[in-house]
Amino acid sequence: MPEAAFIVQLDDFQGFIVKKRHPSSLALTETMLNLVFFEHQQGEEEAIRDSDIEGMRIASFAMEVFPGWTVCFVLNEDDVLEEISEELTGMGRFMLELMNADPESLEIEEILAKKSSMPAVDDEQKAAAIFMTPSSALLLERLHTEGVESTAKLSMWLKNQIQSENVDLLEAITPLMDSGLVTVEIIGKLETAFLMKDVFPHRAPPVKSFKATSVAHPNLMPRYEEYLKSFFSPDPPTRGYNPTLPVTDPNSPILEDREKIARILSNSIYYAVLDCLRNGPLRLGQIASQISFPDGVVQGALWAMEAERIVANFEEEGVWALITNPKMEIFMPEFILPIIASKLEEKKVGSDTARRYLELLVQTWSE
Amino acid sequence: MIRSVYILGQEGDVLYSKEYAKSESKASLVEFLVNLVQFLKSMDLEGKTEFMNVSISRIFFAQRELFTFVFIADKADDAVQIEDKMTQLVETFMKDFANLATAKQPLDGFDSKVDEIAVTMVKVAILGFAGVGKTTTLHLLRGETLPLVHDPTIGVSIKRLPEEVQNANIVLWDLAGQSRFSILWAKMIANAQVVVIVTDSTLENVLRSKKLVTLVKDEVPEAKVIGIANKQDLPTALTPERVGQILSIPTYELVAIDISYRDRLIQIIRKSILEGKAEIKAA
Ligand SMILES: Nc1nc2c(ncn2[C@@H]2O[C@H](COP(=O)(O)OP(=O)(O)OP(=O)(O)O)[C@@H](O)[C@H]2O)c(=O)[nH]1
Ligand SMILES: [Mg+2]
Repeated sequence: MPEAAFIVQLDDFQGFIVKKRHPSSLALTETMLNLVFFEHQQGEEEAIRDSDIEGMRIASFAMEVFPGWTVCFVLNEDDVLEEISEELTGMGRFMLELMNADPESLEIEEILAKKSSMPAVDDEQKAAAIFMTPSSALLLERLHTEGVESTAKLSMWLKNQIQSENVDLLEAITPLMDSGLVTVEIIGKLETAFLMKDVFPHRAPPVKSFKATSVAHPNLMPRYEEYLKSFFSPDPPTRGYNPTLPVTDPNSPILEDREKIARILSNSIYYAVLDCLRNGPLRLGQIASQISFPDGVVQGALWAMEAERIVANFEEEGVWALITNPKMEIFMPEFILPIIASKLEEKKVGSDTARRYLELLVQTWSE
Repeated sequence: MIRSVYILGQEGDVLYSKEYAKSESKASLVEFLVNLVQFLKSMDLEGKTEFMNVSISRIFFAQRELFTFVFIADKADDAVQIEDKMTQLVETFMKDFANLATAKQPLDGFDSKVDEIAVTMVKVAILGFAGVGKTTTLHLLRGETLPLVHDPTIGVSIKRLPEEVQNANIVLWDLAGQSRFSILWAKMIANAQVVVIVTDSTLENVLRSKKLVTLVKDEVPEAKVIGIANKQDLPTALTPERVGQILSIPTYELVAIDISYRDRLIQIIRKSILEGKAEIKAA
């Protein structure tokens, strides 16, 4: 495994800036930085590339979401890239996320030693991205009532909603497509968007964690129960969290809260910490070692989630527990079928479109 | 460098903002600034400039009466220099524009004052096909020994000009001209205030370079573009007028291997920077 690495950013003004390096004696030239950067310009996707530069073997990693940033590992003679590329990808992803979230706490040496890694963005996080882009969330609402619609009409509708000509449908629809909620196909001559999946962002009671607590930390139970009760079912007249209230209800927690949930879930660092706690309460050190993150990073994530009432700290015991479990629940939008049926009747969509929708739905949900 | 400038009112309302270069995501930044204003109400900075680090940026702020002034800069910047600029900004604003802002009037003329204070770095990109003399031009501008052989540039070579223009550092981006590097050009000229398109003044090369002019106009429409008719010492050279006609941009003659051209070239670039600024002002 590599013992040397560096992180470089191409700044539009100042050019290549080596932000971190280990060991500090690692000598780098402008040509090396150029060649590494150039490697990644030849394909856009998230990938590991290897180059042989000035006698150094470098495996480099870049992500589309962080343009201009590259993580480079200096390979040893006996390293076989194919064998370690998965590990390097995970570490590379971790370093770029951390560089973005909390660069001060990033120590390359520590990351290499612990092999701190971050998995690829998963479906829940992809769905969260929808609620981070207001126009995407709007578009999703529109598709709830339309089910199927031509992209031209969607674009017009969106412009109307936002009262601006500067609406980029592609930008709005991309998170919906990336998360698999929407499929776009050409039907006849019309580019058409189909709603394949729906998503319900909400906070679920942390059932699994609660059960695990009763076994591992029975002494926490009374206080843990109190936390959950005050959030989900407080004594009247206070009303508990009820995500099924319609958005139009002033007591509905959905609108403002779903953005909070989305923000937490789409932060890959918070997400990794959260995912650990879903299984049961843990000490900070336990979380850090489970996911091989530096302590400081885990601490930051816990504080951020404490502020959003997702985790709570049992100070005496030094344990953190999940008190609400933010979720992006994905389900089949069967409510669309009657909508399509009546659109078909009113000749708002053709039978080929309706048939295609059914086909797609079966394909998506049959596994 | 100073990446952006914000002036906020008492309620965290943005009275003025200008972005010179990308920094963190803008939405979260504004949200942060509004919180900052609220927070600052509870303490007294005594007219001093403070800063804090946020991710890769350093945020400088000062308060005077009801206004909060903010620079987003880099951690690597010289804090004393930026604090100095903050003092200038605060004084300029309080003297001539605070009343306008309070009365919700447009801040006519303030923008160019901000430019004078906050522009600390000007990017000049040197673009052209392989072997036309870009790297030679870069060395000439820097007053360095001129290389006589063509050692093709890899990617980009970034160097500062020893002289400042109006207190701003000039950063020269000498791009690689070999065709395999052409995928980098659009990215590398981003945020350039001036783009210098170098040709070797042969008909074939000048005709090809028309494509570069189009690229620059598409990618950085606000940039000032100038042409260079290099290698005027060679018998095959078209006149600078002819080169300028073909490229349809103001074009100047050059013999990059002749040191006596240095001052002239620096003046040309200087003039382009100043003209570029004037045009932005007028717009
Ligand atoms: N005769 C003559 N030769 C020149 C002049 N300017 C540059 N050269 C020569 O042209 C060759 C190429 O110059 P470079 O400056 O390296 O070319 P470049 O444009 O940087 O090339 P790339 O980096 O590959 O894009 C060198 O041998 C220079 O000495 C000039 O004005 N007259
Ligand atoms: Mg060169």
